[in-house]
Amino acid sequence: MSVFAAAALRRNPVWVQLLGLCPLLAVSNTVANAAGLAVASAVVLIGSATVVALARKLIPKDVRLPCFVLIIATFTTAVGLAMEAYAFALHQRIALFVQIIVTNCMILGQIERVASKERVGRTLLDALGTAAGFAAAILVLGAAREVIAIGFPLAAMPAGAFLVAGMLLALVRVFSRAGNPGSPK
Amino acid sequence: MARRRRVKAIQGIAVLATLAVLAGGALAWFSQTTEEAVRRNRQAAEARVVRELAGADVAFAPATTVDAGEDVVLFCERELVVLRGGGRGYGGAFRLAVAVGADGAVAGVRVIEHRETPGFGDILEAGTAWLDSFRAGEPHAVTGATVTSTAVIAAVQRLAARGRQEACVR
Repeated sequence: MSVFAAAALRRNPVWVQLLGLCPLLAVSNTVANAAGLAVASAVVLIGSATVVALARKLIPKDVRLPCFVLIIATFTTAVGLAMEAYAFALHQRIALFVQIIVTNCMILGQIERVASKERVGRTLLDALGTAAGFAAAILVLGAAREVIAIGFPLAAMPAGAFLVAGMLLALVRVFSRAGNPGSPK
Repeated sequence: MARRRRVKAIQGIAVLATLAVLAGGALAWFSQTTEEAVRRNRQAAEARVVRELAGADVAFAPATTVDAGEDVVLFCERELVVLRGGGRGYGGAFRLAVAVGADGAVAGVRVIEHRETPGFGDILEAGTAWLDSFRAGEPHAVTGATVTSTAVIAAVQRLAARGRQEACVR
């Protein structure tokens, strides 16, 4: 399997690794909000993974985690500013969740596992795949919640996020042929 | 051995410091680049709120400043005054607009921007019963959102008192 597909499917950050669940559950109440957060997370992930991959030989092992977090925080702040300037309506709805992208384990995990060790090309493919996997997951959850909420308003509320996400996760496990998705490589 | 460890520590500090300076510089530049667009967005949001409070057809010159720190009269005509001011809630600064009618009563309240915790800030959305209760007189603090609601009440009362002194409602 290619690097991209492996990152997006076999190691899907949400349905397989169960990472990035806080923004996933909080911002998936509508497809529009979900798309906004997916794009913001993708920019932060791809940007910081590329910078780390480029600078990986300059970063001493002992201080790598503060360095990674600093780079992620810089991209997160920049994305927040860009949203406030060019997508104000979206910013007013999801600004708080864009700020906490900085603590998204999906991003730090990808950087620690791939970007800090691999070449830029491979890192970029993996980051794109991870971002696509996260986007697909959050969009599916957002769409499912919006559709189910038509007949069953609870789905759009916070509690509904857990219920719908749990059901989707169960579905993925039933249909997943990847063996045991609970133990990602 | 001790020397090597010292060299490694200094190396780490140097890399981290350099990175911090680079990140700070990049963000300072980017924040300056987006400043103008952000200011325009805030003014547009403010203009939208004034039209909601004073009527869609009002001629309205946007305030030159969007600094939340001071109270500004945005509109004062037809026996209605709309003021904008700010306050500090649980999650940070908020800005809101208050309309005061000729009888001195609050005619409407709209929150322009806030940083309250999602869910707890819901009482601040346009058209909620809580915001509408300002028109009826004394609104009550909201259980579970005490800091948010008392800060908003204080800001509304301050702006309303200031508004009653404006010429167009006296």
